[in-house]
Order: sequence, then C-alpha cells, then structure tokens
Amino acid sequence: MNKPLLSGVLIIGIFTLIAILAPLISPYDPSVIDQNNLLMPPSSKHLLGTDSLGRDILSRMIYGARISLSIGLIAVGIATIIGLILGSLAGFYGGWIDTLIMRFVDIMLCFPTFFLILAVVAILEPSIFNIMVIIGLTSWMGITRLVRAEILSLKEREFIQAERAIGASSFRIITGHLIPNAMGPVLVSATLGIAGAILLESALSFLGLGVQPPTPSWGNILIESKSTLGVAWWITVFPGLAILTAILGFNFIAEGLRKILG
Amino acid sequence: MGIIPLLLGITVISFIIIHLAPGKPTSLQQALNPKVSQEVRLRLEKLYGLDKPLRIQYINWLHKLVKFDFGRSFGDDRPVVDKILERIPVTLTVNILSLLFIIIVAIPLGVKSAVKPNHAFDKFVTIFVFIGFAVPTFWLALLLMNLFGIKLGWLPISGIKSLDFEYFSLGQKIMDYLRHLILPIFVSSLGGLAGISRYMRSSMIEALGQPYIYTARAKGLTENTIIYKHALRNAILPIVTILGLSIPGLLGGSVIFESIFALPGIGRLFYEAVMMRDYPLIMAEVVLGAVLTMLGNLIADISYAYVDPRIRYRKQA
Amino acid sequence: MDYLLRIRDLKVNFEINNRVINAIESVNLGIGQNEVVVLGGESGSGKTITALAVTKILPPTAKIISGEVIFLGQDLLKLDEDSLRMIRGAKVAYIFQEPTSFLNPVYTVGNQIMEAIMLRQHKTRKQAQELAIELLYSVKIKEPERVLLDYPHQLSGGMNQRVFLAMALACQPKLLIADEPTTSLDVTIEAGILRLLLDLKEKIGFSLLFITHNLSIAKRIADRICIMYKGKIVEEGSKDMIFNHPQHFHTKELIQAYEKIGRI
Repeated sequence: MNKPLLSGVLIIGIFTLIAILAPLISPYDPSVIDQNNLLMPPSSKHLLGTDSLGRDILSRMIYGARISLSIGLIAVGIATIIGLILGSLAGFYGGWIDTLIMRFVDIMLCFPTFFLILAVVAILEPSIFNIMVIIGLTSWMGITRLVRAEILSLKEREFIQAERAIGASSFRIITGHLIPNAMGPVLVSATLGIAGAILLESALSFLGLGVQPPTPSWGNILIESKSTLGVAWWITVFPGLAILTAILGFNFIAEGLRKILG
Repeated sequence: MGIIPLLLGITVISFIIIHLAPGKPTSLQQALNPKVSQEVRLRLEKLYGLDKPLRIQYINWLHKLVKFDFGRSFGDDRPVVDKILERIPVTLTVNILSLLFIIIVAIPLGVKSAVKPNHAFDKFVTIFVFIGFAVPTFWLALLLMNLFGIKLGWLPISGIKSLDFEYFSLGQKIMDYLRHLILPIFVSSLGGLAGISRYMRSSMIEALGQPYIYTARAKGLTENTIIYKHALRNAILPIVTILGLSIPGLLGGSVIFESIFALPGIGRLFYEAVMMRDYPLIMAEVVLGAVLTMLGNLIADISYAYVDPRIRYRKQA
Repeated sequence: MDYLLRIRDLKVNFEINNRVINAIESVNLGIGQNEVVVLGGESGSGKTITALAVTKILPPTAKIISGEVIFLGQDLLKLDEDSLRMIRGAKVAYIFQEPTSFLNPVYTVGNQIMEAIMLRQHKTRKQAQELAIELLYSVKIKEPERVLLDYPHQLSGGMNQRVFLAMALACQPKLLIADEPTTSLDVTIEAGILRLLLDLKEKIGFSLLFITHNLSIAKRIADRICIMYKGKIVEEGSKDMIFNHPQHFHTKELIQAYEKIGRI
C-alpha cells in the first residue's frame, strides 16, 4: 500500500481529467465578460465567484488546469531530454566532453533561475510556447548531473563490460542499458520538476509575464488578487489552493516513487 | 581557481541571452517614438556600437563591465550602476534578515526532530515541512497581507516606510522599518526554512550515530552536552554550504516579494526593467545575480574550510 | 573470589524494523580486583555488546531483556540515568577499536581530555590543562604541550589510542574496558600499547577487561580468559588452563588460528 503514490496519482488524475474534459464540464466560457456580475462572491450561479470582468472563476480555473498542467509537462519533458542527452554524454565519454558539459552546467547554475527566465521573457515576448521552452531550457541542469552520476556508477558494472566485450555500439549501450537503469531517480526528479514548473509558471503569470489574459492560468487569475485584497477573497483563495494541491499531488507521487526505488 | 572561467562563462551566457532579441534594442525606442528618423536611428546604433560584429560588441561590453560601467538605463538615461546601487541596501537587508531567521528557526527545529526521530514532534514538523514545500509562497504572501494587513490591520503591506516617517524618532523609525519588513522576511524565508530544517535533521541523525558519541556517553556526559556540544558542532558544518546555496533562491524570490510588497530593492528593479524592456538594466541585473550567486558559493566553501578542523589544519606527517 | 564486576545471565536483543534478533543469549562473567580478563571470540559473537551493556551505553536498537551487572555492590542495570552517569568515566572507563573515529573530530584532543577531567574534578581550566599534560606524559607521549592542541586527524592511530587511554584514566576508574584497542594498529605499535596498559595497571591499579579475537594477545597479558561464541560464554579459565587444556571446539579453533600465523 504505497500511500503517497496512491494519493498523488489520485490527485493528479483528477486534475488531468478536469483538464481533458474542460469543454464538457466548464459551466461557462472562461473568456466571457459579464458586466452585470462583476466581482460576485461564490453563489449557486458562480460556484467560485467572478472576477473584475465578470468572468466565472470556476471555468477559468478548469481551463487553467489545462494550461498549467501542459506547460508543466512539456517544460519538464524538454528539460529531461536535454538532461538525459548531456548527462549520458558527460558520464559515458568522460574526458574533455565531461569537463565541457559540467562547466556549462556550473555556469548555468550560477544564474538565479527566475532572473534567467525573466530576462528571456523580456526578449522573447511571453506566450505559452515560449514559456514552456524557457522553463525547460533553465531546468535541465539538475537532471544532467543526476544522469551523469548514475551513468558513472553503472559504467563499471559487469553487464556493461559484457556488452562492450561483445562489441555493442556506444549508442546502443547508452540507450539500451545505461539510460533505462538510470531512469529511476530521473523520474523522481522529473516529477518534482513538474511541480516546480507549475509553480514557476504561476509566479510568472502572476507577474504578468507568463500566460497572457484572456487565456486563463491559475497564476494570472491571481493578478487581480492584489487589487482586490480584502474585498474579493475568492479570487485569491481558489487559484492558490489549486496550485497548492497540484504541487502536493506531484510531491506525493515523487515520494511514492522514491519508496519503490528504495 | 575556477572563478575566472566561471565569470567569463557568466558574461558570455548573459550576452548571448540579451542578443537573442529578434529586433535590435533600439527598435523599441523607435517604436515608442516614430518620429525618430532613419538617420538618428543609425547614429544611435553607432553610439551603442550595435553596428559592429557580435564578438567585438562582446569585448566592448566586457571592457565596460570590468570598469563597472553598465551603460545607461533606457528608462531614464541614468547610469545603471547608480540605479542598482541605490536599491541594493533594501534587498540585502531583507535577504540577510531572512537568512538569520532561517538559522534561528530551522536549526533548533532540525535538532529537536533528530533527537527523538519519528516521535510526535518530528512527525508534526515533517508534515509541516511537506506542506511548506508545496505552498506557493507568493500566494501565502497575498493571504498574509489580507489577514495581517487588511483584516487585522496589524502590519503595513507596502513600501518600507509609512507616510509620516519623517516625523518619527530614531527608535520609531527603526520600528517602522521592522514592521514593514516582517511579512516580506517571513514569506521569503519559508522555502529555506523547510529545506534547512530537513537537512539539519538528517545531519544531526547522522552525527548522533557516530562513534564519538559512544565515547561521549562512556565519559558520563549529560544528554544535553552530548547533543549540543558534540553532535551539533559536527552536524552544523554542512549547513554553512547549504546556506550559501540558498542565495539564488532568495534572489529569485526577491523579484516576486519586492513586487508584491512594493519594496524598493533590486528584485523589483529587475521586474520594472523587464516590463520596460530596459536592456542595459536587464543585462546588468542578470550578470549581478549570477555573480552574487557565485560569491555566495565561494563564501560558503571558504567558511566550510575554515570551520571544519579536518580541512583547516592539514594532517601532519 | 571477591568480584569487582559480576555479569549474571545477561540477555540482550536487537529490535530493528519490528524484527527481533538475539545479540547475547546468556552471559556470565566475573572480573576480580586488578585482574586482567580477556574476552575472546570471533566477530559478531556479542563481545562488544557485552562491553557496552555494562554501563548501558548500547545503540538505540539494542534492548536489555534480563540479567544483572553487579559492580561494587550495585546492579548497574537497575540504576537510573543520573546515577549511571556518575559511574561512567569515573568508575568504569572505555577505550575503543578505532581511536581516531571515536574521538570527536572538531575538538582538540586536549579539549576532550580536559572535558573528562573537569566533569568530575573541581579544577580550573589551567589546572585541568596541567593534569592533561601529566596524563599525556604518563601514556608516553613526547611533547604533550603540542599534542594537546592537535586535532585527532592530525595524529596517528597509535598516538590517538594513547590519548584515548589518557582520557579514560583521567578520573582513575576501577575498571577499564578495552574493545579491540589494538586491532587497527600496526604490530609494533600494538606491542607498545599492550606494555603501556600493563605498566599503568601496575602503577595506578585497575581491572582490565580486554576484548579481542586475537588470542596471542591473551597469551601476553591475560590472567583469565573467557571465550564467547554465538552470544554465550562457552569456556572460561586461567590462561594456562585455556591454552594447555582447551575444552570447547571454538576455543581450539581460536588457538589454532593464531598458531597458524606462527605467533607465540
């Protein structure tokens, strides 16, 4: 009974379902402006209230799930692919390739992630695609180190020597044996990475540099939170809870995976 | 040492990032002021050296960097260096106080959890930390502002001084600063707090299992002496490094928190620069952020070497 | 015989992850005044656990199930922590297998010796320091003033064991328990430490419980020998009896083991 894994999968499963079924379950169109219902508290008509343009918060959050989850997934996907490639190259070949790649990692790690992301966003206008790519391009360093460490320890094991002895190509050894065996910790790291990416995206969107309205994201619903402090608590509470729950869900999954890996 | 290549690497990456821009930096100015003629634009480009090949631009920029000449802000044409310098004190104050807060709270938490692992206190702290890791801190900031600032009215929620600051006595001025800084310091410490108390816990548990603890017990020392004199002194060594590593996180956080709490620090400056596409300022801040991180790591390494006798005093023949 | 220490029917278990493993099944052991008793046996037979159980400084996973440890008329196992602390270091002291690991790496050896002194004796720092230097002299360390300021990692294993001895004898205990103190040291260093132990025992006067798997040491220093096997004492007797008329098969194994290396 892997409780963390089960709870995590349940939570994220529900969110994923919501995201996929968005058009079917959303009570309103998330972009529809309703002048008669500005800043309404939660009611039977608008379960989570409305924002300053009369848009239904629940609908915006349902569609926001789509955006936030997909950004998280794709950003981490990019980071993982880069990390796997660079990490295996560094770990497998060693020598100057290793030094070069690791130096690059060291340099990149000197930049506060947020600074890097903001700087690039300043240059390449915020769009959903750009955000995915940017977050991905600034999060691959940890996975690279992880993969490299795993490969370094796996490299000397007998079954790898055996493969070499029978003349298997480097590519085959890396992709067929080394990477699959290193996947465990990588998966844990990637899961935590998705949580981190969702957090990054919401922070960016909150600052107005992420997903641009009217496209809804949990982060950009919170933009109005500052100006409606004390007046419209529902704009602050619900999106934040969603982000919190999603991150908890992914953290649970990561814990559960760690338990399996021992 | 590896510092020089690291520094160079930082400048190279920063330079590359800024020049990813599809348009030239001057196109914004042109867009804002269409009356600027072609001729003037060419003159501006020449002024900024934008007509030269990239590697020459890089060398020129590097040249200026070393003299701490970061150019002039696009926003108000003031030297970037000045704008940064006048905002650094606030960011430094908040971040240093955050680090202090983290140290004061996280270390005892970790130690207490380690001394009785898996008992009530430890379980409680573990859950607390797990949730703490998941809470988006900027959201928590908003909630706390709502609670303490508006509902209860105990704390101010923006700026670093009240409107009638000038009329305060020195003591009142200090209190005023502190009241404005409590919330920002609290929320920006939370991430580090969770992480470091966790780390302290495992470091302490490891220290308490070491052979020299048996010796201490065999000597008849009290439990407190064993925990605080013998184990803690060993467990705390890696924390120095960890603290150094939390600097980039704090810097990134300051962008958000200074914006939410309207604090005049370099984080908020960076945010404003990004909103205005003020490229010289952006570039300077990116380099600054990286250099500060690097310095933090360096200080952490040096401190560790100082604090651990095994490294400080090399083994004699 | 009038025993200084008498262990009766000691039973200790390990409890790890809800599994119970027996460490010592039933140990009976006695040590007289100023006697050298060697506790011999292979690794894992329970020797160290027996030693640690005497003053209840066992690892947290170990639980004492039953038995008595009578020392100077008291059953130590029935004492509370505070009373036990009065005994530890003051009446019963230990030296361990790897002195460098068993010394705290972040304090100077002087600091650690003085800690033992100042815990029990009312002395100023200066007096404690002088006593520490005397102690270091008595364990045959040259330049004690300099060694006082060294950290454990700066000293050799042999030096650290002498330091440890100085620290253990600082409060003149009645019983010194030595758990494989020379196992990790060079043979030549080992001889020095053994000689030192016997000299100090003559001069100061204490009983020595010496734990080892190497019976050649027993031949050199023991008055009596106890052989431990799988958590029980399987044979016990004077040095001559054990070496000339060993009864238990394990005793014979241990004797043969060191004879093979050609040591007498």
